[in-house]
Amino acid sequence: MEHLTWKDRRHIESFLRIGRDVVLGRVCIDGEKCSGCGFCTRACPAGALELADRKARMAEGNALCFSCGDCVAICPEGAIDLEAYLQFRHFFRYLDRGEAQPPRRF
Amino acid sequence: MTGKNPRTEPDEPGKPGPEPGAPFTPVEEVIFRRRSVRFYRKSQVPEHLVRRVLEAGRFAPSAGNAQPWRFVVIQDPAMIEEMTRDVIAVCRRVMRMADYTEPGMQRKESVAKALQRILPNMFHPIPLAAMKLISQGKLGVWHGAPTVIALLVDGRAPGKPFLDIGIAGQNMVLAAHSLGLGTCWVSFIAPLAMMPKWKKRLGIRHPYKLATSIALGYPRGEPDGMVSRETRAVDWHGEDGKRRVVT
Repeated sequence: MEHLTWKDRRHIESFLRIGRDVVLGRVCIDGEKCSGCGFCTRACPAGALELADRKARMAEGNALCFSCGDCVAICPEGAIDLEAYLQFRHFFRYLDRGEAQPPRRF
Repeated sequence: MTGKNPRTEPDEPGKPGPEPGAPFTPVEEVIFRRRSVRFYRKSQVPEHLVRRVLEAGRFAPSAGNAQPWRFVVIQDPAMIEEMTRDVIAVCRRVMRMADYTEPGMQRKESVAKALQRILPNMFHPIPLAAMKLISQGKLGVWHGAPTVIALLVDGRAPGKPFLDIGIAGQNMVLAAHSLGLGTCWVSFIAPLAMMPKWKKRLGIRHPYKLATSIALGYPRGEPDGMVSRETRAVDWHGEDGKRRVVT
């Protein structure tokens, strides 16, 4: 079982240290398949997606993608994939997480 | 509809259940495919469907069968808009105090961190980022859903009444998705519980407390579907008395 160290508990993550304090979620968008419908930009709770040249892309800047997968699910073309999952590095660190998997049938 | 289950002998083995790797049951399908919906059609959800969703909440398990919930259905667009406006106003006030990400505003970082230490759930980085988007109008509160169900909790109930509300709410959410509706849990309703106007209109008065809310409507597009998510370590104390970790 993972636990926080005292050092971690003292350090609250800062949005000014993205990459070091916070690893953002990330999706990759297949530009070939993307039809520019914009559903993903509406579904994204983090405002992390935008349309440019009639194609969806991750917005410039540090929108807090928390890898919910709503864009992946809503995309009618199946053009979006989750690539990285949000992680905090200290106080708010997610614990006991392994590699990503779709729902499994045991 | 109510009545007895067929008689079974006390020592009869239980039904074996599906073979390993068998297809998902309809209930599992709904659970795995449910995604939070943030893009709704304008058309109202008919009363019989809302009542069907509420019925799923009514039959949720609760500590001591106390059923400590009270559901408030809001379908008046003017009221939802006014609630939204008031939530946005609160988000703006918090951001004026604690948004350190604007250029030249680093000094506010200590305010944000103090809030995060005192109220780590409310001011967790994710809701903090969401408050910024809401205050800028980039993220809706109820996302244009035509129906909002506010979930109130009877604070006198046994055990952990807020947990019972979560169970009842998820019953409703899963029922809604199985009916082709979309839902989103929206706890940004919380600030309204501090305003006398909303206390009165939503009936938030002893013994009731405001717990959370659920947006309900017909989704635009097809937001439900399975996605990947991180596996979680589970401690498993086996029959052999040994502990192992499964993921």
